[in-house]
Amino acid sequence: MKKILIAALAVTLSACGTVQPVKNKSASVSPMKFPCLSYSLACGNIPVRKPVKKELEGELSGNIDEGRKIAFTKKRGNCLACHRMKGGTQPGSRGPDLTAYGSLKRSDEETYALVYDMRWRVPDTLMPPMGTNQILTEQEIRDVVAFLQSSK
Amino acid sequence: MKARLFIAVTALHAIVLPAVAETNFNTHPRFEINPELGVAGDFSGTYKHWRDPSAVEQFASVQTDSSNEWMMNGKNMDIVEDDFHPGHLAVDEGEKLVNLWEHREPGFKACLGSGSTDLEGIAARYPLYDEKLGRVMTLAARVEHCSKKVLWKNFKQGSPMNANITLYLKSLSNGQPIQIAVDSGPMKEAYLRGETLFYKRVGQLNFACASCHTPGSIMGNRLRGEVPSTPFGDVSHYPTYRSPVGEVEVLHKRFMRCLKQMRAKPLKPGDPAYVDLEVFYTSMSNGYPITAPSIR
Repeated sequence: MKKILIAALAVTLSACGTVQPVKNKSASVSPMKFPCLSYSLACGNIPVRKPVKKELEGELSGNIDEGRKIAFTKKRGNCLACHRMKGGTQPGSRGPDLTAYGSLKRSDEETYALVYDMRWRVPDTLMPPMGTNQILTEQEIRDVVAFLQSSK
Repeated sequence: MKARLFIAVTALHAIVLPAVAETNFNTHPRFEINPELGVAGDFSGTYKHWRDPSAVEQFASVQTDSSNEWMMNGKNMDIVEDDFHPGHLAVDEGEKLVNLWEHREPGFKACLGSGSTDLEGIAARYPLYDEKLGRVMTLAARVEHCSKKVLWKNFKQGSPMNANITLYLKSLSNGQPIQIAVDSGPMKEAYLRGETLFYKRVGQLNFACASCHTPGSIMGNRLRGEVPSTPFGDVSHYPTYRSPVGEVEVLHKRFMRCLKQMRAKPLKPGDPAYVDLEVFYTSMSNGYPITAPSIR
């Protein structure tokens, strides 16, 4: 009986453990992994992550619709907070207008690297390093780039 | 052997570390802020619109474009005529608490007033360096300290009780210009530390306070539905009743909210880092009259 119970428990536990990974959702990273203002907590001494110039490997293969969702959702990319984007309402005004980004004919590689981390080109930029700081996953950045390239 | 290894390692470093442009990625570029000027040193160019109620009123009536609203620095909320809001209830509550506890434990008021029971005008001098305690005290820290020392209670910073009493004390200085001295000693050190924190990039989004509140930053631009304004003159109306939050919010709670949005670890109210930041922020309100209770 005990064995059965344990087995049942194990099955339940493993079922819990293997909850389908939510696809294309940014994994939330603990704020403790980034610098903070504290004098006593460990995060107070963490330096800012160094700029990374990320190479795009292989085809872009991004999902335009998914990219739009990511760009417009506050808890994910929230690109709209600073940029005008095609189809986005109540955009911000600090960043460059991206409504016709696709017409600029900039390469996927460059766009990907800039969304991943803008600081290798503009060191004092206000734009969060989406890739370096794990705000978005690599696939999510591909999706956003696909959406940008489709905005014409 | 050791020497050779050392040379090898040094040589390796020379190769691995390329000549990087001199950018400190840990901080936002700094601005000249003269602590002697106080609120008049405002770098946003908007001070002329909110330096006093008449300027606010005039600008509010002249400006027709809602995107200019940020230039009033929220001070247009202070000149509304029929201004009854829950902040007034908090002041009443704070007054009741102070009088009740003074009745039960005589000495509470004297502790709040650092020896004097006349509490009018004391809020305009906070934060200050308390020589007896040997640390920089904010008004909320004074309330917490006195509750512990005299009442054997703990009106913790960030708690509603502490906020209500702090707001009541602040309301007793309503209309008085903020006057704190940051030109020497521990207050100057706190100011300098606070200034450093203001420019420190924190959190997952890699923002500093300065990323939204300095010229050339997001200040004056839309951040979705909001427009960040100048940090000058801001402290004068805290603690304030925040209608989006539905409670009286103390300055340190406001810091917490900011940091959460920057996806950085928010610290607890009363944290030494917040105290330094408060000293820096308050010096940027030097000379500006306190408005309490207020609503934002």
